[in-house]
Amino acid sequence: MQELSSDIRVAVIFGPDGRIRPVWFELKRRRHDVRTITNRWRERRGAIVQWHFHVTDDGALFELMFNPNDATWQLLCIEAL
Amino acid sequence: MERIILHVDMNAFFAAVEQQSNPALRGKPIVVVGSAARTVILTASYEARAFGVKTGMRVFEARRLCPQLISVPVSNRLYAHVSAEIMKMLADYTPLVQVFSIDEAFLDISGSLGLFATPQRIAYLIKSRIKTRFGLTCSVGIAPNKLLAKLASEMQKPDGLTIIRPEEVPAILQNLPVGELCGIGRQTSRQLALLGITTCGQLAVFPREILRRKFGIVGDQLLRMAQGLDDSPVIAAADEEEVKSIGHSTTLAQDLSDRSAISVVLLQLAEMVGRRSRRYALAGRTLTMTVRYADFTTFSRQTKQSRPLTLSVDIYHAALKILDAIVLEQPVRLLGITLSGWDAAGQQLPLFNEDGREQRMTAAMDSVNNRLGDFTVTFASLLDKLNKGSHVISPAWRPEGVRHIDMS
Repeated sequence: MQELSSDIRVAVIFGPDGRIRPVWFELKRRRHDVRTITNRWRERRGAIVQWHFHVTDDGALFELMFNPNDATWQLLCIEAL
Repeated sequence: MERIILHVDMNAFFAAVEQQSNPALRGKPIVVVGSAARTVILTASYEARAFGVKTGMRVFEARRLCPQLISVPVSNRLYAHVSAEIMKMLADYTPLVQVFSIDEAFLDISGSLGLFATPQRIAYLIKSRIKTRFGLTCSVGIAPNKLLAKLASEMQKPDGLTIIRPEEVPAILQNLPVGELCGIGRQTSRQLALLGITTCGQLAVFPREILRRKFGIVGDQLLRMAQGLDDSPVIAAADEEEVKSIGHSTTLAQDLSDRSAISVVLLQLAEMVGRRSRRYALAGRTLTMTVRYADFTTFSRQTKQSRPLTLSVDIYHAALKILDAIVLEQPVRLLGITLSGWDAAGQQLPLFNEDGREQRMTAAMDSVNNRLGDFTVTFASLLDKLNKGSHVISPAWRPEGVRHIDMS
């Protein structure tokens, strides 16, 4: 498992019930389609509530984090499957 | 510093592993059974549990509840392998991992937050990795100690995550039945009920003196448990106490009365115990034999040997002597042999040539079996008679070390 902390571009569906679903993201100029969302949870950091997602594409598990304060996404870790 | 303990409990582990290794079983009600002859259910998949099928039930009873039930024989080696891989993965988060059983572990993650940020994140990383790598789900409990972490993991099944924060402990325990705590069994619950105690809240404020009079020093322990207190550390495999005994037992494919048939099983058990003791250069002076009758009456007999045992034939002969001293009152359902009382001096050099021959022969057999698998070379009397009974995984099972039990 490789721990990272890099800003990434993510295509997201914001659902009517406040649900967030990442659909694809870019890593090193390659597009990764999200096949499954394995887990999702929220963490409070001071006043900010960050959204965490464990997602898989066809070859790896990724942790994505959404910061609603500035609407940015970060890739936190990767594990090859 | 406040401790943060995480308990990982695999959900319907044996059944889930079977479903992963055979896609045709996925989504179907299945049960894992010890053997074809002994049809007691070891684990039921969640699909089977939905019909009321439970561990310990007989297959014919379960089929009444769920006619489409699929019964799968136990594959201990497969479970042990998957478990060892999962335990290895848990060590990525802390060196303090205590394998509690084949499908449960405690992690002390108090010192891991600098690397992984929060206990919740560690829990989800574990859950996601187990799910994506093995297709299995687990329930995780996070709490200030092992007692509460285990309680927390039981609260949401399957695939749950429960956090018990220190300030929530009194409220959670107040109305919790005492039997829900790990370590308070049916017998203790019954005795507590006689004192009018059914919940942890009642036990937590019960007079200590009465508990001491009734349970001895365990009374103090019960009181602490009901208050949610537990100082026991998470003990990593490397720090575990020296193993005190090596034992194997087997439930027989059918109940046996014939002594010669029983002695064959004893030889097999003696070889299993002997092999494991020799692998770790242990020799013991105390041999214990356990017998369970058809009606589940169980007893043990013990002998002290003048010289430490490690050769399978010596263990076998000592077990035979115990058997000869027992008048079997019923057919035998289960047999077990345990070697203990390790001799610090280890193995003695043989005085007579015959003993040396036995040792060399055993060493040769071990070397072949180490390479090609247990019982590849074995005693002639065991050929075609190896008991294929229910090799239930011992609670002492560990992925490595003396407690590792090879389940051929």
